[in-house]
Amino acid sequence: MKKIIELKNITKSFDGVPVLQNVNLDIYDNEFITLLGPSGCGKTTMLRLIGGFETPDTGEIIFLGNKINDVPPYKRNVNTVFQKYALFPHLNVFENVAFPLREKKLPKAEIEAKVTEMLSLVALKGFENRAVTRLSGGQQQRVAIARALVAHPQVLLLDEPLGALDLKLRKDMQVELKKIQKQTGITFVFVTHDQEEALSMSDTVVVMSEGKIQQIGTPIDIYNEPQNAFVADFIGESNILDGTMLEDYKVSFSGQTFQCLDKDFGKNVPVDVVVRPEDVDIVPVEQGQLTGLVTSVTFMGVHYEIIVDVGGFKWMIQTTDFVDVDERIGIQLEPDAIHIMKKSEYSDLYGDYSSFSNELDELSEAPEEDET
Amino acid sequence: MNKTLSQEKRRVLRADHLSLAPYTVWAVLFILVPLVFVAYYAFTDDNFAFTLENIQRFFVSTSTVFQEDGSSQEVRTYLLIFWRSLKLAIISTLVCLVLAYPLAYIMARAKPRTQKIFLTIIMIPMWMNFLIRTYAWMTILQDTGIFNNFLTLLHLPNIHIIGTEAAVVIGMVYDYIPYMILPLYSIMAKMDERLIEAARDLGCSSFGVLRRVIWPLSLPGVISGITMVLIPSVSTFYISQKLGDGKIMLIGDVIEGQYVANNLHFAAAISFVLMVLLLVCMAVMRKLAGRRVEGGL
Repeated sequence: MKKIIELKNITKSFDGVPVLQNVNLDIYDNEFITLLGPSGCGKTTMLRLIGGFETPDTGEIIFLGNKINDVPPYKRNVNTVFQKYALFPHLNVFENVAFPLREKKLPKAEIEAKVTEMLSLVALKGFENRAVTRLSGGQQQRVAIARALVAHPQVLLLDEPLGALDLKLRKDMQVELKKIQKQTGITFVFVTHDQEEALSMSDTVVVMSEGKIQQIGTPIDIYNEPQNAFVADFIGESNILDGTMLEDYKVSFSGQTFQCLDKDFGKNVPVDVVVRPEDVDIVPVEQGQLTGLVTSVTFMGVHYEIIVDVGGFKWMIQTTDFVDVDERIGIQLEPDAIHIMKKSEYSDLYGDYSSFSNELDELSEAPEEDET
Repeated sequence: MNKTLSQEKRRVLRADHLSLAPYTVWAVLFILVPLVFVAYYAFTDDNFAFTLENIQRFFVSTSTVFQEDGSSQEVRTYLLIFWRSLKLAIISTLVCLVLAYPLAYIMARAKPRTQKIFLTIIMIPMWMNFLIRTYAWMTILQDTGIFNNFLTLLHLPNIHIIGTEAAVVIGMVYDYIPYMILPLYSIMAKMDERLIEAARDLGCSSFGVLRRVIWPLSLPGVISGITMVLIPSVSTFYISQKLGDGKIMLIGDVIEGQYVANNLHFAAAISFVLMVLLLVCMAVMRKLAGRRVEGGL
């Protein structure tokens, strides 16, 4: 595959506060790549560097083999869909989409044809003369996408484009964006803090935290083989336990020894052990490798989310079997349910679910404001 | 059910009216009544009988002007003065716009602290009496004033400014430029930075951004700035007397003169005509600007 953009050793700080630290990333042609991370992790700054709105303090931005650090935005073959769309309020739908074409001074008939084509791509035919201020959020979003695509950029940058939409519309737009990307064959660089969105849409996910890339991989890799505790915690739910790798395929934690599928860590090496809540089997106490006391049960629709106290460590388990609060249960783990990670700076920050609350989780996922 | 609802609505409306009452009274007393008086005086003679004579006099009365080469010319007195007022007012307004536009843009994009400093600097002269400011300009622009002394110091030839139209324009620009800067600044400060970035992203150079995004979006500010500078400039009188050295008579001076001479009806007639002409000007401008904004090009 052809590399379209390369970021090499990029460092950027604002007022002495580092936002990006030595970031390296290759973006390939025709790829849907997502920069995923919590608010303030530097993902938007990275997008703005590619768009040309910021220049890196050190490092190189390479576009198809050419260094473009100092190339202004209007000379880059890259367009952006902005967080709050940034549609021109003084222009109607047609003129908003035609904006980049008029700048190129294309003939009138060509402009008309291209705008019409784009508007039908985003399902906004017949809206040409509407004022953009009279459109719904979803429609504005589509205009912004059409405007950014009409000049056929090689790369489309999307800065949390779905953040302001309600859940249902968001899901629809996710499908639609993916479809548009397939149809046009344009490389999409998508920024979001929503891990579900990232997993469901992307070819490649780049997980970021504190100005550093934590992991680059396919959604399945990122979910099943997180590289450290941060990634494991940020992507989905995880029980992260302190363990010791006894030898290849053998790990001990919570006072028990388990079979696993990981090797090459050495002997008696401290590690982080990740167990996804949906991979835990609940069995009668006498059959369990571990036993614990159920402290809370939440009905989530598809499954129950239960918190189990196992010797002081609180596990989250997702199960379709009903168990009651204060019941003692046994826990059984298959070897492929256990994922081993090297210790990292994030090891002690994430762990059990003793202070877990759904409410808090939702709060932290509220749409974030502009970050720079 | 419907009936009670509409009754409810009506009650709310009445309450709204009630809270507006003080402003309504204020507007009637200090805006409507004076306007009616101006119109009444404009269309009546000394005995308060209806007449068009005063209005007519503004358009037809003539006088003889002697040129410097000794030749004389018959001119329509008041139309000539009105035309001169309008010309100087338009020049002043344009100068204000050209000076204020970039300043307002720089201010709007500056750090909040810098913005505050700029605003204060612009406001300070407005706290001083306008007569004093005009006298200050006299001492600067006089033939032996500060400006010419400065030129002498640099061994440059002196320039005769006082008593010329240029001096009047300088005075008007100085006095009225804050009224241009403030509306421009307030609209530009509200402008979404992302729109400018979007325009650059979509292929606009800096000039393209100015022409296609900043300028059309700032038009409401431009129009209110022009309104706030043009109207007082057209009817200004004191600046022209002092900086024009009595040689440049503007329509405001005429109105003042007629008023002082107790020619109330003619003064009212000139004011009335001036008002109507300005209203027409503003309406045309608003319409033109409105069409540009909608058309988008």
